[in-house]
Amino acid sequence: MSTEIHINNLTKIFGQGASAFRALSGITLEIETGEFFTLLGPSGCGKTTLLRLIAGFEQPSAGSLTINGQEVAGKGPNVRPVNTVFQNYALFPHMTVAQNIGFGLKMLGKPRAEVDATVAEMLALVRMETLAHRRPSEISGGQQQRVALARALAPRPRVLLLDEPLSALDLKLRKEMQSELKRLQLETGITFVFVTHDQEEALTMSDRIAVMSAGRILQLGTPHQIYHAPAERFVADFIGDTNFLDLPVLSSDGDQARVSLPGGASALAHLPAGMLPVPGQTVTTVIRPEQAQEGPLEGADLVAEVETAVFFGTDTHLHLRLSDGQGFILRRQNNAQTAEPARGTRLGLRLTPGALRVLRG
Amino acid sequence: MERQTHGWKWLLCAPALVVLIAAASGPLLVVALYSVLTPGTLGGVSWVVSFEAWTRVFVSRDIFDPQVVSWNSAHLMIFWRSIVLSFQTTVICAFLGFPTAWFIATRPPASRTLWLFLITIPFWTNLLIRTFAVQEMLRNSGTINASLLWLGLIEQPIQMLYTDFAVLVGMAYVFLPLMVLPLYAAMEKLDFRLVEAGYDLYASRLQVLLHVIIPMVKPGFIAGSILVFIPSIGAYVTPRVLGGGRTMMLGNLIGLQFGQGQNWPLGAALSMLLLVVVVGALIYYLRVVNQDGGQRRG
Repeated sequence: MSTEIHINNLTKIFGQGASAFRALSGITLEIETGEFFTLLGPSGCGKTTLLRLIAGFEQPSAGSLTINGQEVAGKGPNVRPVNTVFQNYALFPHMTVAQNIGFGLKMLGKPRAEVDATVAEMLALVRMETLAHRRPSEISGGQQQRVALARALAPRPRVLLLDEPLSALDLKLRKEMQSELKRLQLETGITFVFVTHDQEEALTMSDRIAVMSAGRILQLGTPHQIYHAPAERFVADFIGDTNFLDLPVLSSDGDQARVSLPGGASALAHLPAGMLPVPGQTVTTVIRPEQAQEGPLEGADLVAEVETAVFFGTDTHLHLRLSDGQGFILRRQNNAQTAEPARGTRLGLRLTPGALRVLRG
Repeated sequence: MERQTHGWKWLLCAPALVVLIAAASGPLLVVALYSVLTPGTLGGVSWVVSFEAWTRVFVSRDIFDPQVVSWNSAHLMIFWRSIVLSFQTTVICAFLGFPTAWFIATRPPASRTLWLFLITIPFWTNLLIRTFAVQEMLRNSGTINASLLWLGLIEQPIQMLYTDFAVLVGMAYVFLPLMVLPLYAAMEKLDFRLVEAGYDLYASRLQVLLHVIIPMVKPGFIAGSILVFIPSIGAYVTPRVLGGGRTMMLGNLIGLQFGQGQNWPLGAALSMLLLVVVVGALIYYLRVVNQDGGQRRG
């Protein structure tokens, strides 16, 4: 794999003087050719600014940005080999679907026959052949989405930038478009840089995810790494449901620490590299709701009392209270027989070995 | 409930309707009627039906032998000049108005109101006074010629007043706000992400202007063109003050027939002709807009 986009110490400051706003601080990042890369974070974290810097709509305040080995900082969007799928699609309302798709090729000065052939190919790719002569206002939101994709893919960019393209669609259509996007990415082999605030979308589609907050990248990794081994409290909290437990350390050795659990039992917790807490120190640990199983009260790691049960269909979240007062969420998979336990029921919990992790800080 | 209230709600526009009928439709019918009557000896009309006025619009009769007719070149020239000058005024206003409207539309929302307010300042002063101010600028001993003489750029004053050029300058000045305002209204609604999309798809600045911005603000262009062209073609004060007797326009020709000419039917026929041109322009406008707007939402 080769590097498609190389971002080095990229900083973006909007405004000047006292009202200056630092949208991005020293972002360093490499995006591989042909990868589905996602920038994930809450609104205002800088993910869209980073995308706009890659597209060329904004110019960086400092740092460098290369695409396919070419420095592009200072260059306009019309000379960069990237195309954008906009959040609101930004289709040209005065052009037909086919004219929209052919616009980029026409601007590149391609001969008419080539434009027509590529437009036909793109229409087939997004399955919109029958609507080629409609205007954007005459097609549905999902169809507009496909046209926006086809328009951005038609000039065969090296990189496709997608700015929350699915956020305006309803849930069912969004799921459909997620697999559609993944299919297009695999078929075309184009590098996708995808911006979203939807963690589930990021986990299902991405090869790698950069979790951003306040203009910085907090963690960069595969969906598995991000989900199972969050590096910071923010990442653990933002992605999926998480239990945070403050626990005293009994002993620590290498990359593991033995922590004392409420109720008297103890468990091994994974330590982040370079962290070695002393016995007696309280650390914050994190464990996912599905990493604990119900079992007999005898010999359980944790004993907890049921407070509420939240039914999700495939599973139920039991909100529990541990003996020292800390809360704990347990995910329990449902089948037709499972009944929700009454409030006040005492449950024994067994933690999945290796699932408990100490957070840095 | 709603149906019931609907029944009498049209009464709300009744006062305006009365004024419109009394002040526009009534006199219009009178003018139409006058155009097929015979001129009275001291102005006015005598009640004899005749199509002589309509004939005289296009042809003139030989003084000695009324049976010999030729095209009325004076009328046709005035007609042609009116159309050409109005068209040129519209084009000049479009070229000057586009960057102005763009400038205002791209200001922060808070300061746009101020700029729009500045655009309307000329309306504070009477048209006649403003036109005399333009006359003062263009006069042989006026501001422009005096400055050029003083700078030594010219030796003789340039004759600007009482030329088509003067009329054009005056009309462009007077009607420019009528182009800027609808253009601004169209640009304010423009989704600037479409401009970004254009750049993103490899369009240069010029290509974005031609392929994205201008097609998007076309309704504003058309509305502005109508608002400039229609009053231009019937302009009276500007060609009178800046064009003098030599560069007459339709409005002046009509005025002449009702005044010194004492040929009311001819004036009426010319007025009706002007109306036909204006209505024609409007129909063209509506067709173009519908063609476009039909396929566009909102």
